[in-house]
Amino acid sequence: MIILDYKDTRPIYEQVVDKLQKLIINGVLEPDSKMPSVRNLAMELSINPNTIQKAYTELERTGFLYTIKGRGNFVTYNEGLYLLKKEEYKEKIEKLLHEAEEIGISREVMLEELKKGEKEND
Amino acid sequence: MIEIRDVSKRFEEIQAVDHVSINIKEDSVFGLIGTNGAGKSTVLRMMSGVIRPDEGEILVDGIPVFDRVEAKERLFFIADEPYFFANATPEDMGRYYSSVFPRFNLNQYHEYLESFGLGKRRKVGTFSKGMKKQLAILCGICAGTKYLFCDETFDGLDPVMRQGIKSLMAREMDERGMTPIIASHNLRELEDICDHVGLLHKGGVLLSRELEEMKCNIQKVQCVLEAGVSEETAFQGLDMVKSEKRGSLYTLTVRGSREEIVNYFGSISTIFFEALPLSLEEIFISETEVVGYDIKKIILG
Repeated sequence: MIILDYKDTRPIYEQVVDKLQKLIINGVLEPDSKMPSVRNLAMELSINPNTIQKAYTELERTGFLYTIKGRGNFVTYNEGLYLLKKEEYKEKIEKLLHEAEEIGISREVMLEELKKGEKEND
Repeated sequence: MIEIRDVSKRFEEIQAVDHVSINIKEDSVFGLIGTNGAGKSTVLRMMSGVIRPDEGEILVDGIPVFDRVEAKERLFFIADEPYFFANATPEDMGRYYSSVFPRFNLNQYHEYLESFGLGKRRKVGTFSKGMKKQLAILCGICAGTKYLFCDETFDGLDPVMRQGIKSLMAREMDERGMTPIIASHNLRELEDICDHVGLLHKGGVLLSRELEEMKCNIQKVQCVLEAGVSEETAFQGLDMVKSEKRGSLYTLTVRGSREEIVNYFGSISTIFFEALPLSLEEIFISETEVVGYDIKKIILG
């Protein structure tokens, strides 16, 4: 279902959270569908079940999953999650713009370039 | 829970283990890492009740482990070089282990032998090194013990086998709460599977902490200070582990949470700043360097 990147320096559980969030937002994991059990996912990815449990807990905390005792974890979806992810991307772009500024490419130039690129692709 | 209380062991002149205390909680994966000759294997052998500590005690679920069947049947030790009886077949080993471990699961064992392609009637002596390792691990997993001690267990296994074995361990952990304790040099691998890590050096414990917490409490920072800002004033509020300077670029290893560090650097004048989390390997190197273990210095003079 997801593929881990072992070159990524982030903790495994963050990667699991991030990748599952994407699958939920782009609709691959449909609302109210059942998530794989902790055991199955841990076995599939060959990682510690505690890591998956932690990822599920985090997803539940941020509102991507809900749990029914004895039945497992299910997907939720709402507009808020999309906005949450949008914020995250905005932060990432901000960081990139800041990096570009550090080597002397101004924010304006960068944004201008991006817009130009978009038009050419149309 | 396994409690190691102030344990020491000496082999003639060599102080292999020097006042080590570690608590290992159940339902988690404990990684034991250490410099070469730090005493990892000795600690594992004492934990499995094979050798007796000179000082201190080791309790497995509250029972002193040395020579006590009630404690020893709770654990299985997969040694670095697994031992099998002369002329034995995997079937013989299964029969032997099931006579020692009351919860040994023979059916599961035979299933696994088949799926791993280890002939149950073939002599273990004719197995390759990797196959012997696999067999030892399967014995360990099927023994049904609460604790599974793995000494450099993943070494000598091919990548497919590693994943397979880890999947089996994941199942056992989730199904019956098995607690693996893994000694290894392969930090990248431990980083992926451990909840808690103990770092041994020269027979003592340098640190023992939740991996997450360990990684969150140390950061690597690269920065360039604005002209005229002196290094002393800029860095005085930092808990510095190590600093290096190349041209105007500083590479620092600093203790503290990511947030703290980012905030701190936000308050001083930098032209360029970047904070990166350390990998377990880098933590290992910087923590042992602090206590004077630096091979580069030895080689480069």
